[in-house]
Amino acid sequence: MKNVTLGQYIPLDSFFHKLDPRAKICAMIAILIAVFIPAGFVGYGILAAVLIACILRAKLQFSFVIKAMKPMVMMMIFLTIINVFVIKTGNLLYTLGPVTIYDDALKQTAYIIIRLALMIMTTTLLTATTKPMDMTLGIEDLLKPFEKLGVPTHDIAMMIALALRFIPTLIDEAERILKAQASRGVDFENGSLKEKISAIMSLIVPMFVSCFQRADDLADAMEARGYVVGAKRVRYKQLKFGRGDYIVIIGANLLLALMIFLAYRGTI
Amino acid sequence: MPIRFEKVDFEYSPETPFAFKALTDINLELAMDKMTAIIGATGSGKTTLVQHLNALLLPTAGQVTVLDWQIKAGQKFTKVKDLRHRVGLVFQFAEYQLFEETVLKDVCFGPQNFGVSEEEAVKIARESLKIVGIAESDFEKSPLELSGGQKRRVAIAGILAMKPQILVLDEPTAGLDPQGAENMMELFRKINKENGITVLIVTHNMEHVLQYCDEVVVLEKGQLLMQTDIKTFFENYEYMEKANINPPAIIRFKELLRKNGLEISSDVLDIDSLAKEIAGRYRK
Ligand SMILES: Nc1ncnc2c1ncn2[C@@H]1O[C@H](COP(=O)(O)OP(=O)(O)OP(=O)(O)O)[C@@H](O)[C@H]1O
Ligand SMILES: [Mg+2]
Repeated sequence: MKNVTLGQYIPLDSFFHKLDPRAKICAMIAILIAVFIPAGFVGYGILAAVLIACILRAKLQFSFVIKAMKPMVMMMIFLTIINVFVIKTGNLLYTLGPVTIYDDALKQTAYIIIRLALMIMTTTLLTATTKPMDMTLGIEDLLKPFEKLGVPTHDIAMMIALALRFIPTLIDEAERILKAQASRGVDFENGSLKEKISAIMSLIVPMFVSCFQRADDLADAMEARGYVVGAKRVRYKQLKFGRGDYIVIIGANLLLALMIFLAYRGTI
Repeated sequence: MPIRFEKVDFEYSPETPFAFKALTDINLELAMDKMTAIIGATGSGKTTLVQHLNALLLPTAGQVTVLDWQIKAGQKFTKVKDLRHRVGLVFQFAEYQLFEETVLKDVCFGPQNFGVSEEEAVKIARESLKIVGIAESDFEKSPLELSGGQKRRVAIAGILAMKPQILVLDEPTAGLDPQGAENMMELFRKINKENGITVLIVTHNMEHVLQYCDEVVVLEKGQLLMQTDIKTFFENYEYMEKANINPPAIIRFKELLRKNGLEISSDVLDIDSLAKEIAGRYRK
């Protein structure tokens, strides 16, 4: 279960790891918008080249990014099949009995797959180089303007932080209970429906019990250290914008502008 | 019918940035029908080692032999269920694995998974619960109503009910009251000596090692440091000091006597015989 790479932080020392989380989040949003602009294969080529350069700069391994895409493979295959059967415009490329394949179908599919891949590259770049805690600080700060509208930004950030904090703990816990029940002869893979249900119960019930217990303990521990919901808190870690942060934000927005330009030129 | 580790390596999350080699080149043969203690500092790989015994973890290199089964690195091991029936593993913090509505049902869970009929399972479960010292009145309670120590006992009963040939216990007494811990250790010793079940026990308690075990395996940073019988192990005082092992009180006392010029035979390992020995010499 430790092999889930999507959204995992990789502790390394690189230019991207040192950036302000707010800068990274803003840049990511700009790039994600850019990914959705129909700038043609040239545009996607440029985006891919920039993202690959960034991944190299962040000292991440490509195998790691590829692994993060794995969960999407099924979806990509599914999309390809649907597209091939549904889209019937453009030039006819291939006929085999009732199956006809048009070039628009392939093009559309290629677009979607490239977009998905680019999105995963972008988000992986963010999550792999930003500690979950820094991420929540960044989100909290970026949500600040909404505080005037009565949005409890700090509470939201705290909830996100706690949730993120407990993901690895819960994965460990699930793994331990899984092993403990496997030692008692539970087979999580094979068996009749009744056996499967009992197997899943033997995992879920202890998980629930321990989650509630942990939540209870955590609430007590937080209150014991003076945490009051809604009270004003100061912050130990101060986020600071540096030169690199401006460069990244400006760079991302220039890239977005370039995509818009390419798309605009493509339409005339 | 041995338990044998041959050149065993184990790595967590191999080929990822989180790869961690928890066991390195373990060569080990454990005596059957004995009670063996596995000791070592926190993080030395004790839990990792014992989880190889019922194929919860598979070696990344080398080979593990348990009873009639061989688990080789890189090969699919298909007899998992048979193996787990014969090797009962009680987890560190086993109390978190309880999930049925009643204590009795939870203990029945293991045997039933291995094909024992419900009637038979209930019978075995009642016996097992009595052995570990759970009162009849608690059998129909929800496991959540019990104290931590009682939950641990129920979890242990759940494994005993599977009637394993090899019983592996990962820190079964951590967090129990001293008397409860003694009772537990006595129970394991009894199971070992009377029923001929091989017992492996991971523990940090040297008093327990001395009082109840026959053999010791010492791990350090994922490597096998030594394997020997209790007598030889506790004879070597300097070694224990070097390895940061806190010797049992009686061993410390003997060492102090020796420093003050009173040599006591290494066969003397409990207070009764020590008292006799000293009194005998004093009278002379
Ligand atoms: N699931 C895991 N993934 C990665 N590393 C792990 C995992 N489980 C344990 N380790 C590491 O392997 C090493 C050995 O762990 P193990 O649990 O076997 O130690 P131990 O001797 O049982 O310690 P303790 O006395 O605290 O129970 C530790 O350094 C630990 O950090
Ligand atoms: Mg352990």
